[in-house]
Amino acid sequence: MNTLWIVILATVVIYAAYNFYAKRIDRDIIKADPKKATPAKMYMDGVDFMPTSRNVLYGYHFKSIAAAGPIVGPITAANIWGWAPALLWLLIGVSFIGWVSDYTAIMVAVRNDGNSLSAISHKLIAPRTRSILFVFIFFYLLLVAGAFMGIMSALMAARPDVPFGILMLGIMGFLAGQMLYKWKMDLIVVTAIVVVVTIAAMVFGPFGATVNPETKAMQWQGPINGAVVAFNGAVNKITGGNAVMTVYDPTNADPRIPAPGADGKRPSTAVYDAETGAIKTMPAYLFWALFILAFSYLAATLPIWRFAQPVNYIGFWITLITIGLSALGAVLAPILGTTAVNAAGETVKVADFALKPLITWGFAYDPTKAWQPLWPMLFVTIACGSISGWHALIGSIGTARQLEYETDGLPVGGGAMFTENTLGLLSLVAVSIVGTGGGAGRFAAGVGTLLTVLFGPGFKTFGTALGFGAFMVIVLTVTQLIFRVMRVTLSEWVGEAVPAFKNMHISTITSMVLTMLLVLTGTWVYLWQLFGAANQLMAALSLLIVTVWLREQKKNPSFALWPTVFMYVTTLAATLVTARNLYATIVPKGGAAAAGAWAMIVIAILLFVTALVIGWDGYNAYQRYAKGGTTQKAPAAAD
Amino acid sequence: MKQTSTQPEKKSFWQAAREFFYGMTGMEFAEHALEMRASLENLFMLGTVGDMLGVPILPPYYSLRLLPYLVPHISTWKRRVLREREFSDEHDYHLEGL
Repeated sequence: MNTLWIVILATVVIYAAYNFYAKRIDRDIIKADPKKATPAKMYMDGVDFMPTSRNVLYGYHFKSIAAAGPIVGPITAANIWGWAPALLWLLIGVSFIGWVSDYTAIMVAVRNDGNSLSAISHKLIAPRTRSILFVFIFFYLLLVAGAFMGIMSALMAARPDVPFGILMLGIMGFLAGQMLYKWKMDLIVVTAIVVVVTIAAMVFGPFGATVNPETKAMQWQGPINGAVVAFNGAVNKITGGNAVMTVYDPTNADPRIPAPGADGKRPSTAVYDAETGAIKTMPAYLFWALFILAFSYLAATLPIWRFAQPVNYIGFWITLITIGLSALGAVLAPILGTTAVNAAGETVKVADFALKPLITWGFAYDPTKAWQPLWPMLFVTIACGSISGWHALIGSIGTARQLEYETDGLPVGGGAMFTENTLGLLSLVAVSIVGTGGGAGRFAAGVGTLLTVLFGPGFKTFGTALGFGAFMVIVLTVTQLIFRVMRVTLSEWVGEAVPAFKNMHISTITSMVLTMLLVLTGTWVYLWQLFGAANQLMAALSLLIVTVWLREQKKNPSFALWPTVFMYVTTLAATLVTARNLYATIVPKGGAAAAGAWAMIVIAILLFVTALVIGWDGYNAYQRYAKGGTTQKAPAAAD
Repeated sequence: MKQTSTQPEKKSFWQAAREFFYGMTGMEFAEHALEMRASLENLFMLGTVGDMLGVPILPPYYSLRLLPYLVPHISTWKRRVLREREFSDEHDYHLEGL
């Protein structure tokens, strides 16, 4: 397999799914009609409800849904099961489930006066469905914040070429907000200044670093990375170089665990004991975790324009440039026949896949080890890129209120989902070609290698640094927004009962403390998979709402019903498997890791029970409409 | 943006590409500026027509002097203020790229 085949396969599958399946559903079942007035036209209020061109909305919706999910998911899945299962799920998932979820969430909202999915679920299914959505959203955010915080802290502590770029991102974010909103400078000029400075800071992070010819390890001696190494060393001296605590990762996905050597064994490092599998949490790791929290605190509490929005905007450009150039490299590499030297010192073609197509099916069961069966775990490990519940929520409260014509629903909702799928495929390509390490390291090495196709072999180190930087930026920009949304959700959820949570500082700090507990005691892959389960349960819920709505409208619900059943059963099973993994592999270790594992098991059980309640309510609502029943009363205002 | 049209307008490839790019980049700033303006407009409206709602902020003389400036915005303001709201309607949920 090489990158060209992926491009051809993706083009054929996406073209066929969009033109022969999606368009048929839009025409024959939903019956989108350009003559019907959309909520944007009926309730135009100059802010939320505004008729907008479909091309603008396509870009807006794509930007809204495509972030860290389609990049992190395929990277994680490819490293566990191999690239072939990840590729199949990305293509099949988006063709039969992903676009259905995004598109129908928008269309159901359009046909229900622009109401959000939670309001529609209140009306169509049961009032408590809306309350349960709060639980899902909060734990969804908590889990993804924990997973991202964990991986970012480890990367910042382990890669001295990364922190400088992230620091500059924050400074440029402040500057961009000031230039745009206070100094009223032109957007293009502001973009040019802040994006160029941030990328330059990322690319020059490894400046002066060399590779040890014997061990192949990086020697950080440059002005920037050398200073970061010295700083980390000074911080670690606080405890005399001893670990603050010890955690374990049976999935070996923690960035602090080194990649296996030529003999297939993982070497011990300063923070990893290969004999026991213990990972040392050093003071430098804690420092960078606090740095990220401080960064996110600013984003969560300052006015949006002051920090969160400009940082997000710069992050978007860095991602676009890095991913765009990598995509160009992936297309050109097989045509030009570009070669590179791999970790074993062999010369290989850049376009050829180095990762195994199938590493394991994962069904073999060992009661003491992590169990990662392909079904159901693959389907929650890759969410965005195939199908994601968050998209449906965003689509119903944002895009649906701006749709000018009903017929724009498919190109906007479906089109953006298919486009996001290509982002997931590109991540899969980057992680599958010649690269070393695992997870984010392998992705960054893949990006670095693809960039050598355009800029020559000498760019590998800087390209890899840009890959790490882009990965960090994608994840960090998402994390800062997560804390902001968590703060609002917590205020709304708990604020009525405990008024102190209406205070944004208290709700932000509470969210951060809960996240840190998961970061310090949790296991990255398990957090990610539990987050995936929460996300996919939201997807199942949105598909369930669509199915019930189709039934109520006397339309054929099959195209949404079967994806609902599949996602529902799969994610319930995945929640149980993750709880079992936590119980079997982390709890016996005892200490703080066991406490974190128990916390995650409780969250898993909570998600499982709430999903059962939603399933039962959804089944009853479906039966009610099948027998010609009517909807619930309309939701009360602001309850 | 023709509200009276019942068919989507045909656009050239480059125009569509420009719009797509604007959707990905500038639109979030435009939206946020609109949200900030709407917040100020809500306050302005409340200040001037508040006496009709039982909140006498300005003397009626000044309200009447300002009335011609308010009239064009009354319909959109009314829709904004009177619409039923969900927790997800909070502006903090409108952040792109999550």
